Amino acid sequence: MKMDFRHSSELVIPISYGSTEVIETGRWGFQKPETVLMTAPCQEACPAGNPIPQFLYLAAEGRYDEALRALLRENPFPGVCGRVCFHPCEARCHRARYDESVSICAMERYVFDATSDRSVDIRPHRNHHSKQVAVVGSGPAGLSCAYFLGLLGHQVTVFEARTEPGGVMRWGIPEYRLPKSVLKREVRRIVNLGIEIKTGVKVGGDLSFDQLMDFDAVFLSPGAGSSLPLKIDGEALKAVWRGKELLERINSGGRIRLGREVIVIGGGNTAMDVARSALRLGSRVTVAYRRSRDEMPAIQEEIREAEEEGVRFEFLIQPVRVSLLKNGRLAVKFQRMKLGKPDQSKRPKPIPVEGGFVKLEADALVEAVGEAVEWSWIPQRLMSRGLIDVGPSLLTAQDKVFAGGDAIDQPRTVVTAIASGKKAAISIDLYLRGLSSDDFLSRIEVGNQGSLSMEAYIAGIEQGRWPEVKDVVPYERINTLYFEPSGRIRERKLSRDKAVKGFSEVNRGFSPNQAHASASRCFTCGTCNYCSNCYFFCPEGVISLDPLLQSRAVDLEHCKGCGTCARACPRGVVEMREVS
Amino acid sequence: MVLTEERPNLLRPGHAACAGCGLATGMKLVLQAMGPRTIAVIVPSCEGAIGGVYPYTAYGVPTIHSAFEIAAPTAAGIANGLKVQGITDIQVLAFAGDGGTFDIGLQALSGVAKNNDDIIYVCLDNEGYMNTGIQVSSSTPSFAWTGTTPKGNPRRKKNIMEIMAAHYNPYSATATIGFPRDLQQKITKAKGIRGTKFIHMLVPCPTGWRTPSDISPELSVLAVETNIFPLYEVEDGKRYTINHQPRRLPVREYLSRQGRFRHLKEEEIEQIQRDADEEWKKLRYRAGLSG
Amino acid sequence: MKEFMTGNHAIAHAVKLCRTPLIAAYPITPQTPIYEKLSEWEASGQLKGIMMRTESEHSAMASCIAASLTGVRTFTASSSQGIALMHEMLHFASGCRVPVVMANVNRLLAAPWGFWADQLDSLSQRDTGWIQFYCENGQEALDSVIQAYRIAEQVYLPAMVSIEAFFVSHFMEVVDLPEQEQVDRFLPPMDLPHKFDMDKPGFLVPVVPSELYRKYKHMAQVSMDSVKGLALQVDQEFRNEFGRGYGIVEPLMVEDAEVVVVTAGSITGTARVAIKELRERGYRIGLLKVRLFRPFPGEAIREALRGRKRIAVIDRNFSLGGGGIFCQELRAALVHSPDRPLVFSYIAGIGGTDVRPEMIERVCLDVMERTEPMDTPIWIMEEGS
Repeated sequence: MKMDFRHSSELVIPISYGSTEVIETGRWGFQKPETVLMTAPCQEACPAGNPIPQFLYLAAEGRYDEALRALLRENPFPGVCGRVCFHPCEARCHRARYDESVSICAMERYVFDATSDRSVDIRPHRNHHSKQVAVVGSGPAGLSCAYFLGLLGHQVTVFEARTEPGGVMRWGIPEYRLPKSVLKREVRRIVNLGIEIKTGVKVGGDLSFDQLMDFDAVFLSPGAGSSLPLKIDGEALKAVWRGKELLERINSGGRIRLGREVIVIGGGNTAMDVARSALRLGSRVTVAYRRSRDEMPAIQEEIREAEEEGVRFEFLIQPVRVSLLKNGRLAVKFQRMKLGKPDQSKRPKPIPVEGGFVKLEADALVEAVGEAVEWSWIPQRLMSRGLIDVGPSLLTAQDKVFAGGDAIDQPRTVVTAIASGKKAAISIDLYLRGLSSDDFLSRIEVGNQGSLSMEAYIAGIEQGRWPEVKDVVPYERINTLYFEPSGRIRERKLSRDKAVKGFSEVNRGFSPNQAHASASRCFTCGTCNYCSNCYFFCPEGVISLDPLLQSRAVDLEHCKGCGTCARACPRGVVEMREVS
Repeated sequence: MVLTEERPNLLRPGHAACAGCGLATGMKLVLQAMGPRTIAVIVPSCEGAIGGVYPYTAYGVPTIHSAFEIAAPTAAGIANGLKVQGITDIQVLAFAGDGGTFDIGLQALSGVAKNNDDIIYVCLDNEGYMNTGIQVSSSTPSFAWTGTTPKGNPRRKKNIMEIMAAHYNPYSATATIGFPRDLQQKITKAKGIRGTKFIHMLVPCPTGWRTPSDISPELSVLAVETNIFPLYEVEDGKRYTINHQPRRLPVREYLSRQGRFRHLKEEEIEQIQRDADEEWKKLRYRAGLSG
Repeated sequence: MKEFMTGNHAIAHAVKLCRTPLIAAYPITPQTPIYEKLSEWEASGQLKGIMMRTESEHSAMASCIAASLTGVRTFTASSSQGIALMHEMLHFASGCRVPVVMANVNRLLAAPWGFWADQLDSLSQRDTGWIQFYCENGQEALDSVIQAYRIAEQVYLPAMVSIEAFFVSHFMEVVDLPEQEQVDRFLPPMDLPHKFDMDKPGFLVPVVPSELYRKYKHMAQVSMDSVKGLALQVDQEFRNEFGRGYGIVEPLMVEDAEVVVVTAGSITGTARVAIKELRERGYRIGLLKVRLFRPFPGEAIREALRGRKRIAVIDRNFSLGGGGIFCQELRAALVHSPDRPLVFSYIAGIGGTDVRPEMIERVCLDVMERTEPMDTPIWIMEEGS
């Protein structure tokens, strides 16, 4: 052996100064880790495709501005959704299989609230092919479409017949669930993007449908604003109200006296909103529903809160006649019902019980059994069974006219309306670029249930970087050993006594500590949250993570392929793949 | 938050540990928490094998490969050598395995602890003589297979923490790689205490425990969650603090994943469970908790 | 300044004068007074440094080696079972090339048990790579410790200074204590090129390939060999500074001697008396004291014994199956000598038995009657035993 002493100290004893890094121990292994980002089931379940793991990760880190920005990339209404969404995400939360689901909805709200004292704006992309788009209706679908088109750099004009924008968010949902101030902030952010909202402009009156055709594209989102009638005797009596109209009156600040006792017909969210509003107007309220509690379409929390506030429920009865008593009160005759085989809605069909009737008295009756689209101004050929007929890209029967929201055939929720607004915005953008939506929508799917990612769309269409479509993380891929069991955290609420005294918001949201704990509970399935397990556990020390640069790198020259990082990833983000 | 620039990796890649080695992970975590102003002592053991052959070294700090039984007095000698020169910003770290700590080095460690020399002593416990090819040590758990206990170890694992506590040294703590933040916090805490600090660190060994190469951290977590290896600290030999409330999973969950326990009979598993329960009760009592 | 003190305390004084800041030790009779004296001075602050009260000699040596690698002067003292327990670390010390200095008080090795003078303990460590000095009295022990540091720190090898149990360790004699300034002048601060370096982190004592092991052992031998000349030079400088010296061997009246008695350690003092007596009675007897045992000063011995015919080596040690160890070494050193003197091996004083002047006289008379040496040594015991 040739002696080569590079250091004088080695003239006395041998001392190793060289780094073992020259030894390529990576050759020992036959498999190497790869980062495989996946879609979380919650994200797939969210019609708007909210980046739930990302925003919860940022929230857990206390980076609320970034969390809000992440949400705003996919959803213009985090403050609204965080309050009124029926959160299908939580039902699919993997954590629910371990202990209890994460309070995703409440966290969305918290992120909005925590940043409400500052402006967290999001900038529109520069678009050299900017076009003019008209949006009819300023509900969640219309504003969402306008917002995303604005992000994509188009010039958008929103026509709203009422005096203020917001649609159901402004005129339907009561203040105690969704304060007007929250909506105002969300709308302001949209307007700041350069969107013009023309209120008090009724299409079909102030502006003809044909005049819309001057725009390069049109989005119709008139909503379903009028309550359906029950079509029973006595419906025309003065003390019989339609749910939507009543809520609109209340939301307009009108002074209403319903009387001592009120019956509300229906089991959906409108019925709950009406019942709880009536309670706040000083009435005793009974909800009459023709199926049982289990079949009620309203959000579970809404039902529970209505119960807690003192709303009474009568199930399996259906009104057949209303009559005016001599004392001025109403007598309502109900048919008793029972549950039969499932119908088209997959719920058991209510069947009348032969000869079974009940009579209830009340000072007022509110019908809240469904809503219809007011479409007199829309050409007949665009319609089908009272709804605007659309194809998969939300294009109507007329070229350059798209539609969404409650006016098309889809679940009538705020988040589905937002989702259709987003989809329409993408379809319109593609249309304006002369591209076919068929070629692109499948490339930006979030999971397999139709949600789309605007972030993916922008990356693809603007920079040509179409992200790989990610699979949904199966539960088995989550390594739950690394999660301490913990219970779901519940939001603070107004006490019942205080709640029913007025229209103050009932749900008071999380405290900062609750929010941190709640966000930290998220498994962030399929998304690296820089938990550092792989970094800490790698025996070779070859993994480097930088949460600020969002980078994760493996020095493969020294990775022996032990698989520890893949196994130790609590969220299934790392996979071992064989190398040749 | 992990910022690699701020906390350099002082166990360099290219070292010679087996794939999935828990001990390498442990050393890496410890060295990272120690930082570059450290002189390390290692002894003949897996640490020596891992550290590289001349002219290469995996250790990013000045290190000496001392003799088997003298990790502690070697470290103490360095510490005192620095002290008499008025050097106060360098910490001395001793690494020894369970053989070098529980067995051959116990006397020397005891001597240093008695003198309260200013060192951090980390016992990398992989529960056997693994470097020489899996022989029983006094740290090998009950019934475990080793090359020298082919029918299973007939004796229980020695309670080194109690031995250390009996020296009234300022700080002793258990730690394991599955709880890296706890581990690094303990090292950081130890750095701030003058005197003999002892860290008993469980490091799963895929080779010796007969396990796949990817579950060392997981086994480490299970060891804690089953109460086989509770995480706690002892200060001045008397103040006990339990650092992690275990989920108290059945010991079977830990044992069943390791080939060295494959032959266990039902009554042996029950015995291990009883021992774990009893030790936990004792620990809680010492920590001033009832029941 | 002259003081009346034991050999042990003379050594303690030397350590203090050398400003050794780190001492690690473990008690063992008859070394303990060194440990106690230094502890006393550490406690009073007269000795600036740290006394590591280790739990064994093995750990004491481990600590000395480690501390030495931080660049500080270190010291330990031991004896008998203690140095035997240290054995592993003695090899380690020379392998680490650290200038640790140790005082060893020669005591027999068990079994059976005993506490008495016998050089087998340190001679058993002759292959561990330590420089070894054997001293005749307390003054020489004190001076040898100072010289040992000077030499060890120049060649990066550990050094051992031995005195015999009780005969030297506990006997009170007048010792001339050097002045601190003189010692400071004589002994520069220690500088170790291979000490721990925070700016250039290295891995000390790595596993090395065979060829490299061989290379470093060869380098160590070159260093060790240089000690023969260096020790003489250092002794000369010592003589210049302090007015006394010892050489590495000390010939006495050998020029015309028919018989030269070779001794090491305290027996030398007795031999000086015996030889004087025999000279007065007309016998031409000389004396050669061997002070440096490792490295073995073969050339100096050959030079001193040139032209002599009969050599009698008296060993207070015994390698079972071999014989007196000094004798073995001496025979080996003389094998290439052109004169090929006859070398006779005598064993005396084993187990701390007294070696009186008349026993040495008996050796001298006995050797003159013999025609050729035997492999087996001749045991000298008291009359009638």
